[in-house]
Amino acid sequence: MKTVVERSVNKIIRAKNAGLASCHVCDLVIALNNKEAANCPRCNSKIHYRKHDSLNRAWAFLISAFIMYIPANTEAIMITGGLGQESSDTIISGIIYFIATGDWPLALVIFSASVLLPLLKIISIGYLLIMVHRGSELRKKEKTRLYVTAELIGKWSMVDVFVVALLTSLIQLGELSYITPGPAGLAFAIMVVLTMFSAMAFDPKLLWDESEEK
Amino acid sequence: MDENNKTLIVCHACDALQDVSHIPKGNIASCICCDVRLFKNTKSTIESPLAILIACAIFFVIANIYPLLQLNIAGIERETTLIETAYMLFTEGSPVLAIVVGLTSFVFPGFCVFSLLYVYLAIYFKKNGYFIRPLLVWSSRLLPWSMMDVYLLAILVAVVKLLSLASVILGIGFSAMIFFVIFYAAFISSIEMHVLWTKLDENCGGAQCE
Repeated sequence: MKTVVERSVNKIIRAKNAGLASCHVCDLVIALNNKEAANCPRCNSKIHYRKHDSLNRAWAFLISAFIMYIPANTEAIMITGGLGQESSDTIISGIIYFIATGDWPLALVIFSASVLLPLLKIISIGYLLIMVHRGSELRKKEKTRLYVTAELIGKWSMVDVFVVALLTSLIQLGELSYITPGPAGLAFAIMVVLTMFSAMAFDPKLLWDESEEK
Repeated sequence: MDENNKTLIVCHACDALQDVSHIPKGNIASCICCDVRLFKNTKSTIESPLAILIACAIFFVIANIYPLLQLNIAGIERETTLIETAYMLFTEGSPVLAIVVGLTSFVFPGFCVFSLLYVYLAIYFKKNGYFIRPLLVWSSRLLPWSMMDVYLLAILVAVVKLLSLASVILGIGFSAMIFFVIFYAAFISSIEMHVLWTKLDENCGGAQCE
């Protein structure tokens, strides 16, 4: 099922060098030539050679995401109360609870989605950004794959936020038992959104650019 | 507009310019330079995605009407639907979180499914309609923000958490959501924006319709 375009394997033409750019929304290829940007004649979106101000925006979102990652993991994500008592859970204490009760597959899911994935995503994008700044020429294919994967897995970190939302809406039995979201819930949701913005702001084409311009 | 442009594709990941006119039907082309998936020449460009999309729309409605979960704690019955979850979060003191949850689990998936359905129907019946282009632009921008699949995993986690407190019944909404997620994934893998926009151009006789 997989066909690789075999024509002109020996000389790969970069669209930018040919004065061409493609629309991010509808993939139309248009000639930009010396212009910085143009509106797509087909879908009216802005077309640039490279995402506008990509590195600065990606860094800004990434650093903000990392800052939010800290309260997201240290603060309480969920407050459980009932009969005059109240207790709060962080993500880590939730994972420990699952391990203690023998639900280790679930502990693994929560640990990967909430702790590991966001951290890996932040590290990956940070690494790619540094590589672009340094103009690294090594393993470009692997770096591109890293970017595609990081972009794909990002949204799965939202799972804990949805769990808290579901529990909050189900466990509302007045004084008997209730669950409310803790401050980490919001921090977590903002962190996931910021990492997604960061991945969208980053332009993987920059990984391939540097070498040819030198 | 140069007709030749429509068979050219620029790789989103590495900017390599490639001609995809000779890719046979039913094949997927990878970028010659970076191996990222470049283009899929789908066997059926309109009919089968449209059929899948109709299924998506039906399951989306069912998943929203019927409760996802029902539970019984000490004789008290509770149930929740997709919208109620966001609404309860809003009233229980976390409005911003509720907006994020509501948008990603209900508004964006719903918007994408119904506006894409409208666009596909317009192309299928070769009719011009209002707002086709802006709707297609916005639904392709919002596709990565639809998180029904993540929500499904969250329901499973929530069920395990609740089992120690109460008896849980998975509702009709939950079954509908499983089907929605499956069909939605099938739709996403069959959609090729480049082809869709080209079809839309042919539909308007090459000219801008709005």
